Amino acid sequence: MIPDARGLPRASPHPVSKRMHMSPSTTDPRSAKAVVELKGVVKRFASFTALRQMDLTIREGEFFTMLGASGCGKTTTLRLIAGFELPTEGQILIAGQDVSDVPAHLRPVHTVFQNYALFPHLSVLDNVAFPLKVHRVAKPERMERARAALDLVQMGNFADRRPSQLSGGQQQRVALARALVNEPRVLLLDEPLGALDLKLRKEMQAELKAMQRRLGITFIFVTHDQEEALTMSDRIALMKGGEIIQLDTPSGLYDRPASAYVADFIGETNMVPARILSSDAQGTMVEAMGGQLRVAGSFDQPAGTEVKLAFRPERVGEAVSETDNSVEGRLADIEFIGTDLRMTHHMADGSRIVLRRQNSGLAVPDLGEIRKLSFRPKDLRIFGL
Amino acid sequence: MRRERREQLQTGLMLAPSVLLLAVFVLIPICVVFAYSFALRDPYGAVLPGFTFDNYRDLFQGVYLQIFVNSFYLAGMTTALCLLIGYPVAYFIAFKAGRAAPALLLLLLIPFWINFLIRISAWVVLLGRGGLINQGLLLSGLIDVPVGMLGTVGATLVGMVYAFLPVTVFPIYAALTPIDRRLLEAGADLGAGPAETFFRITLPLSLPGVLAAALFVFVPSMGVFAIPVLLGGGKEIILGNLIVQLFLEFRNIPAGSAVSILLLVLSGFGILLYMRALRRVEAMK
Repeated sequence: MIPDARGLPRASPHPVSKRMHMSPSTTDPRSAKAVVELKGVVKRFASFTALRQMDLTIREGEFFTMLGASGCGKTTTLRLIAGFELPTEGQILIAGQDVSDVPAHLRPVHTVFQNYALFPHLSVLDNVAFPLKVHRVAKPERMERARAALDLVQMGNFADRRPSQLSGGQQQRVALARALVNEPRVLLLDEPLGALDLKLRKEMQAELKAMQRRLGITFIFVTHDQEEALTMSDRIALMKGGEIIQLDTPSGLYDRPASAYVADFIGETNMVPARILSSDAQGTMVEAMGGQLRVAGSFDQPAGTEVKLAFRPERVGEAVSETDNSVEGRLADIEFIGTDLRMTHHMADGSRIVLRRQNSGLAVPDLGEIRKLSFRPKDLRIFGL
Repeated sequence: MRRERREQLQTGLMLAPSVLLLAVFVLIPICVVFAYSFALRDPYGAVLPGFTFDNYRDLFQGVYLQIFVNSFYLAGMTTALCLLIGYPVAYFIAFKAGRAAPALLLLLLIPFWINFLIRISAWVVLLGRGGLINQGLLLSGLIDVPVGMLGTVGATLVGMVYAFLPVTVFPIYAALTPIDRRLLEAGADLGAGPAETFFRITLPLSLPGVLAAALFVFVPSMGVFAIPVLLGGGKEIILGNLIVQLFLEFRNIPAGSAVSILLLVLSGFGILLYMRALRRVEAMK
């Protein structure tokens, strides 16, 4: 790292080609050190508070995603890290240096913008060479590295085109090459796949993930698409109302949602009213859907407390022998969605739940049939009202 | 086939009024002037039929050449000054003024509703020996004797820049506003400081507006005649007042016509250059 005038570490001056063919990063992101830290960051715009008290540590080399509905503060967080906005309160550290007051152009991070933001008056090659040019890299090396970066995103044949002559997906690749060419410590991606059609988006997801693994650069990814977040990320920060409400691995977020909101936001969830019957170290008994069910873990509320019981449609069992932890419901509707079947059941207490099973070709029960639905205690989660 | 004819007829009918207007008030007068520029004159100023190149040949005498040089110099200086002052103004309105932008644009427009000669006469009052500027300087103690500003090239330039500044600001403003702010953020994000972002991104993207502004200032500057007379004391003769003098004072209509045609050709040439440059800039996009 070469410290620049302000003592910030700058991206390494090695040609892209060297780094791009590096062996895959073997460091476990869980044990790696912090590369971006937010300490008590608050961001207010006039009367509107976009971020309240944000504490966040992003580790070297991880694929970190900020997920949330629009207006949750995820883009504001990204813009604060990039330096387009300065925090109202708190500190931002990049690679251990306090950058809270450092303008964007002196920070060792680069951004891939949602609309790509390619310079229309420059060729594809000159766009990619731009960050090298402003960092005063000599022309021969600049061109070589820009071409290497274009090759990396398979856009080598388009070097002399104008951005306006490219399709959305191609522009996306060029924007990625431009952000990667100077080898930033951290790459920020602001809904970069939002404008692409579904098929292209899937392709780019896989490619981005592979590239992140190969380069070992920390990716901070912003999206409102939970599926995208789940497939690509090492860790996800789920945000709502300017706060992180759960920070976890994709499976942690899916299997152990911290609140009813998370359970509802990530994937499909059945949520039914329930009442606590008893609770001890062995587990909790609840009354729900016209029966009694055992739930793993204790719940520190007195018996009789009204709660919500949540479970995933694919975790509802039909095989009675597996467990006696079951309730009865009447099959009301079957929805055919190719790989899966979604079966809606009306329960004794009037609630409706969805069961999802693979379209395995086995016989489908008749509508109106009363069926026993079973649950493993650890698949059931209790949330306060 | 019939439908095509009808559409052609409709288009023709819709275009007819403007074609007629242009023909009567622009094309025919130009033809008349063109014809006159080859004509003879009698000693009293009447145009005599005939054909001669003398009117054009006379233009290559020293006196006239000096006038061409003066005109180019004045128009060039006016253009340069207008761009230097107008660009920052347009930039400020487009990027920094925020909600005050419409009001500022309106302020730029207001002078257009006041007669041009009156506005220039105001500068006579301002720049005169007993004018506001001299009084202010005297009061502040910077000078002891009023400075003679009227009747200098400087005064002419002040008037020219004043007159053409709004025409400079508007096209540049129009080119700056549509620039995507995220491009500037991208510039900063990739490591370019504010100055570098301006010279590498903002300025190149606003170039069509700068070219248009230069054309809007340079071409009419060549034909201006009131400002050099009122503010420059008529000492500095440029193409515009040369034409006026030839027609009205010397009653040499053929010679005046020849100068007019020359000015027209020069302007046309300027527009041609502009179109070319614009095409090149547009092709970059």
